[in-house]
Amino acid sequence: MHPRHPEIAPRLLSETDEQRQLRTVLRDLFRETSSPEDVRKHLATPRGYDEALWSRLAGEIGVHGLAVPEEYGGSGFTFAELAVVLEEVGRALCSAPLLPTVVLAAHALLYSGDRAACEQYLPRIADGALTATVAGFGEGFGDGEPIVTAERGSAGWVLRGRADFVLDGAGADVILVRAATPDGPRLFACEPDPGTCRRTPRRVLDETRRQALVEFRGAPATPVGTAEGAEATVSATVDTGRAALAAEQIGGSGHALDATVEFVAQRHQFGRPIGSFQAVKHRLADVLVALEAARSASAYATACAAVAPEQLPVAASAAAVVCSETFRLATAEYVQLHGGIGFTWEHPAHLYVRRARGAEVLFGTADRHRARLAALAGLALESCSV
Amino acid sequence: MAEEMSGIPEPEEFRARARKWLGTVARPRAADGEWGSGSDSVAVFDNWTEEQEREHTARVQEWERTRYDQGWSALHWEEAYGGRGLPAYYEQLYRAEEAAFDVPHRPEIFPVTQALVAPAIALWGTEDQKRRWLRPMLRTDELACQLFSETEAGSDLAAVRTKAVRDGENWVLNGHKVWTSGARVATWGVAVCRTDPDVRKHAGITVFLVRMDAPGVTVRPIRQMTGGTSFNEVYLDGVTVPDTDRLGPVGEGWRVTLSVLAAERLDSGSLGLDNADRALDLAAHLPRPLTGGEQQRAADLHIRTLIQRLIGLRVTAALVAGREPGAEASVGKLYATETMRRTSDLVSELLGPSLVADTGEWGTYAWTEHLLGAPGYSIAGGTDEIQRTILAERVLGLPKEPTR
Repeated sequence: MHPRHPEIAPRLLSETDEQRQLRTVLRDLFRETSSPEDVRKHLATPRGYDEALWSRLAGEIGVHGLAVPEEYGGSGFTFAELAVVLEEVGRALCSAPLLPTVVLAAHALLYSGDRAACEQYLPRIADGALTATVAGFGEGFGDGEPIVTAERGSAGWVLRGRADFVLDGAGADVILVRAATPDGPRLFACEPDPGTCRRTPRRVLDETRRQALVEFRGAPATPVGTAEGAEATVSATVDTGRAALAAEQIGGSGHALDATVEFVAQRHQFGRPIGSFQAVKHRLADVLVALEAARSASAYATACAAVAPEQLPVAASAAAVVCSETFRLATAEYVQLHGGIGFTWEHPAHLYVRRARGAEVLFGTADRHRARLAALAGLALESCSV
Repeated sequence: MAEEMSGIPEPEEFRARARKWLGTVARPRAADGEWGSGSDSVAVFDNWTEEQEREHTARVQEWERTRYDQGWSALHWEEAYGGRGLPAYYEQLYRAEEAAFDVPHRPEIFPVTQALVAPAIALWGTEDQKRRWLRPMLRTDELACQLFSETEAGSDLAAVRTKAVRDGENWVLNGHKVWTSGARVATWGVAVCRTDPDVRKHAGITVFLVRMDAPGVTVRPIRQMTGGTSFNEVYLDGVTVPDTDRLGPVGEGWRVTLSVLAAERLDSGSLGLDNADRALDLAAHLPRPLTGGEQQRAADLHIRTLIQRLIGLRVTAALVAGREPGAEASVGKLYATETMRRTSDLVSELLGPSLVADTGEWGTYAWTEHLLGAPGYSIAGGTDEIQRTILAERVLGLPKEPTR
């Protein structure tokens, strides 16, 4: 494969009729249930999201099981359908923990190839009964010793150590943990109990995506998959997370652009709509160009996660760079072109700014992704300066 | 080609057949791995003397005629015009295969004739005009240049002053056109003229096809900032054009012009990719380790080449699905001109002094052609600023500037 030429059938970059229908259903549902006021209201609840909506998504629409094979209680579609959901989730800023549960934890289980673990957890993830997350995956560049260690005691494996920045870490029912063992890093499933696992929510910039410090103090855990396959599982899981995040970022950017276009077309100053001024138009045209670039990157990462895993590392890192940059730009213009009203607490723009800034550092900063791409493209000569 | 009579070949089958045919008429392009030898030209605009331009044009025409006569050109055109009635994106499938073969590089007059002017004739021409012009233009026996811009009508193209005055069955044209590529080799010029000075400026325009060898047509080369000559100014002094060479109705010329400009905008998606690839190859072959900053810049350009190709694939995907492409088709030119700038910036970092003083070393000073040529594409075919205004008004639907 020449990494500058995406080897992907063009049709995989465009939406199927089924996917379009799914998008319409979700957009209608979120319009009705996940307005900015709804989102704020649910942020104030203990779990931070609309649990009734979570059940509807899982039950009525079957969102949670889209990318789960039928043998584990899912509907056996692909990641591409899940990406449609995530884009709409990102557009509505829905705070339900789909990313940690149905993307990260579910895919870590699937990639591990551990049938018993899949049978134990995936059916309950697919039907919405269980929330889950991952911990100790770091930024997913596969460099660095695990920060949690696993010991084999008389009653089985226990985990010790601290994992920070764990998505939905304080609320998730199951945590998949990358931990050090004498055989190297390995994955474990831990159902946290307050006696052996202390979970402290972090104060976060983006309240729609909760994070926690998780301290394992001899927490019982079950190995998932083999030690040999663990690092590949972690790496594929985080790349899949990046593809998912890219879809969310597209959704958020799309909202920011649409809302701003609508606003500048009706807001009058100097006796004319501010959207008729070239200075405003050209800024929004630049957002559109960035958004189309990001859509392309996201579509590619999605297609790779679904059907072309060998291209996923390149696609995921490219999408991380492009979609993060686009979301940052789109939300900056969202505030700027709304003027004073866009800078108020009441206006939803800052929720998107927070989401954008939170997302862009979630699975590695842009510099690290560029360095990774350079290495994959043969552009990284060994040098102490890197 | 009997099997095609029954229907449209599958894309994969089509590509395989294209590859097979190309193998019988052209040599495969030498594979990668010969970095440091061969041509190191990265010129954005061809830079030829008139004699060289004629020679090269003749070589390309010979290749284009071979393609046309053997059924590998004009793919999406009706059979009546020598085409094969295939979906439009088969042209891209063919191009992807052709890129692996050593075929002559097509200077701008060729896409202008085949992809901009011919479709405008198909859209606006009379049956007689289609019969007279389409086959010869698709086969490149006739080449058509654009007589559009004037010194006082650049971005504001509808302000053209070149006058066409009716004289019985003929029109008489007087005016001065600039920035015409290929005027020295073209046999026809598509001239945007004012036929009614008394109506709103967009309403008084008519388009004509002018014989470039007609009495009163004078072509003078323009030397651009690269130091070379790729464009011309064209003087029209009392040039007589028969009414049968008028394209579209009198006073409807602005709409005719817009259809050509739209095709030009959509045709520019792969602009700059070749040189961006070259710059990345340069980074990979540099005889010293990249600095952290260079590595970041190179990775960014690498990402741009990926994205630019993906945008193209998305346009193809929309066409395959039988949909009109959306915004992805309109952003291509702006994205491409930025790629060209970033290419210049990376190369400047990588080469340092050997970019600006000619040491004779392969693949170094040659990059000045890119550096100086790239700004041209942010101006030609609709400036970056005009592209932004088009995106804002036509794609985002923002209100127009108040007219004065």
